[in-house]
Amino acid sequence: METVLSGLAGGFGVALHPFNLFLVLVGCFGGTLIGALPGIGPTNGVAILLPIAYGLGLPVESALILLAGIYYGAEYGGRISSILLNVPGDSGAVMTTLDGHPMAVNGEAGRALSLSAVASFIGGTFAVVLMSVFGPLLASYAISFSPADYVALMVFAFASLASLVGKDPLKTLIAALIGLMLATVGIDASTGIKRYDFGIPDILAGIDFLVVIIGLFGIGELLHLVEQQVTGRMSLLKLDKSFVSKADLLLTKWTIARGSVIGFFVGILPGTGASVASAVAYGTEKRLARDSEKFGTGDPRGLAAPESANNAAAGGAMVPMLTLGIPGSGTTAMLLGALLLFNVQPGPLMFQQRPEIAWGLIASMYIGNVALLVINLPLVGLFARMLTIPPRYLTPLIGVLAFVGVYAVIGNTFDLKLAIGLGIFGWILRKLDFQLAPVILGFVLGSLFENNLRRALSMSGGDWSILLESFDSQALYVLTALTIVIPVIVGRRRLRMAAQKQ
Amino acid sequence: MAERLFYGALFILTLGYLYFAFVTIKAPIQYDPLGPETWPRLLGLLMAVALAIRLVRPSGVAPDVARKTIIRLAVVAGFLLLYAILFQRLGFILSTWGFCSAVTWLLGTRPVKAVIFGAVVSTVTFFVFTDLLDLNLPGGLLEFLD
Repeated sequence: METVLSGLAGGFGVALHPFNLFLVLVGCFGGTLIGALPGIGPTNGVAILLPIAYGLGLPVESALILLAGIYYGAEYGGRISSILLNVPGDSGAVMTTLDGHPMAVNGEAGRALSLSAVASFIGGTFAVVLMSVFGPLLASYAISFSPADYVALMVFAFASLASLVGKDPLKTLIAALIGLMLATVGIDASTGIKRYDFGIPDILAGIDFLVVIIGLFGIGELLHLVEQQVTGRMSLLKLDKSFVSKADLLLTKWTIARGSVIGFFVGILPGTGASVASAVAYGTEKRLARDSEKFGTGDPRGLAAPESANNAAAGGAMVPMLTLGIPGSGTTAMLLGALLLFNVQPGPLMFQQRPEIAWGLIASMYIGNVALLVINLPLVGLFARMLTIPPRYLTPLIGVLAFVGVYAVIGNTFDLKLAIGLGIFGWILRKLDFQLAPVILGFVLGSLFENNLRRALSMSGGDWSILLESFDSQALYVLTALTIVIPVIVGRRRLRMAAQKQ
Repeated sequence: MAERLFYGALFILTLGYLYFAFVTIKAPIQYDPLGPETWPRLLGLLMAVALAIRLVRPSGVAPDVARKTIIRLAVVAGFLLLYAILFQRLGFILSTWGFCSAVTWLLGTRPVKAVIFGAVVSTVTFFVFTDLLDLNLPGGLLEFLD
């Protein structure tokens, strides 16, 4: 507990520095703005702004504070387009539309927006508090992890990714393998051997991480927006004067509490982010409610549950990223990649060696959550006006931001073309129902995975049984087996029950 | 159909990937038991198996994209490519002006409005990024503005 308090004190010393405080506010404001734009979610927002934030030449902790602010700010802003437009910015906001949009249709848009702001605040703050306690604990446990244990941890991460994300585990595996294979391009760090560079000097050092995220999430999103505008129109609901009441908060207090707990712990699991968390929280509330038929018609509980859960999950997903160096979602994978760009290897040692980054980030999230609530309640009208920007003006802007980011950091046009290619590829993947988060997770973890495997086998002189030697690895492989087997059993039982009913 | 085509293309690429992993990637001296070739071999084999299963039993997504949409997307992709090629040659302001105008026009804005929009966006963002945020952008033909 003492380490937590002294760590937090040091963290607040970093986060309350006027410049960093300014960055928290800019990040939160900008994140909400981006999140509120129709169709652009936290993942795309962070992807598009990450290279620019990196190009600013900020110190590591400041850059990370800014990016994290954009991340949970966008998680916050995402609810605005879900409620008023019925268009979720990303998969984490889908559940918000179920009751949030009907509330707006019933003329309670203001009430829905303010209630969800409060639910988001409580979920987010709860996650940061747990993060400050669990983070150092997990880090001090993981400090003894050997390379073989890391291999086990990553097998577990990819297994839970495959069984929890999307409908088809095999497709998630293919997506992760695409990322892992892309990561093998370029010079092998431990032997200096060239791999898959095809004589192109620009990729000799590997495909740049920024190019991959700008391509898949920036250019890919641009193409997706173009497609949407050709196929259909969206209708925007007006913001009204209604506001959250004390009775609403009393009605939803346990819903918010449960949503926060569910969100945080689901968020910690590797690969599962806000989307799974909000779906689980919504499902739980619906099952617990005696009058569950009200859900989906504009019930405040159906709004508070996913909103508290997806913000808590955003915090929970940061825990494995900071303490183990294994991200819990696509967006935290990007934050991890950003740290790697600064030559900081996140992991258990970061709390001791770079406390200003780990604790500074955590402290900034306390401030950021308060700031988000304060700017969101009065300024929601301003953010809602973002929705009236016609997408035909927005679309080219994404392309401009993407190009500026790539060019400002890397400075050549080959990478721009590579980003376009990856963007088209990403659009095809989305059309075929592939998730993009596993691709980015595979790409970011690729070299870490390979290096740990090779280090483990160097230690054993080529004997593969070293992978199963320690207790930690064995426990992780058991967990891996469970995450694969349990969904299969549950799925079969559900099928059988459905068959019996008929 | 589209799904099988995609898996087939990826499968061929994976075979090429495996060819390099098994034939050309080799370290002259063995530094570690696995060397630089084992990891790509593992990934490639796993990928080949996963793709083979889905080639035989596809998940059954049939994306319906209208011909009109495909053409529109291809044009936008072309604009992007042109933008990438001209980005350095013409410089940020001129290429961005062209790109923004072209895309907004394609998405249904009147030409005059689109050209004005492109002009405003390109000049404003140029000065915000270079002067305010100190990022490096190509001046191109308008180099003298720096």
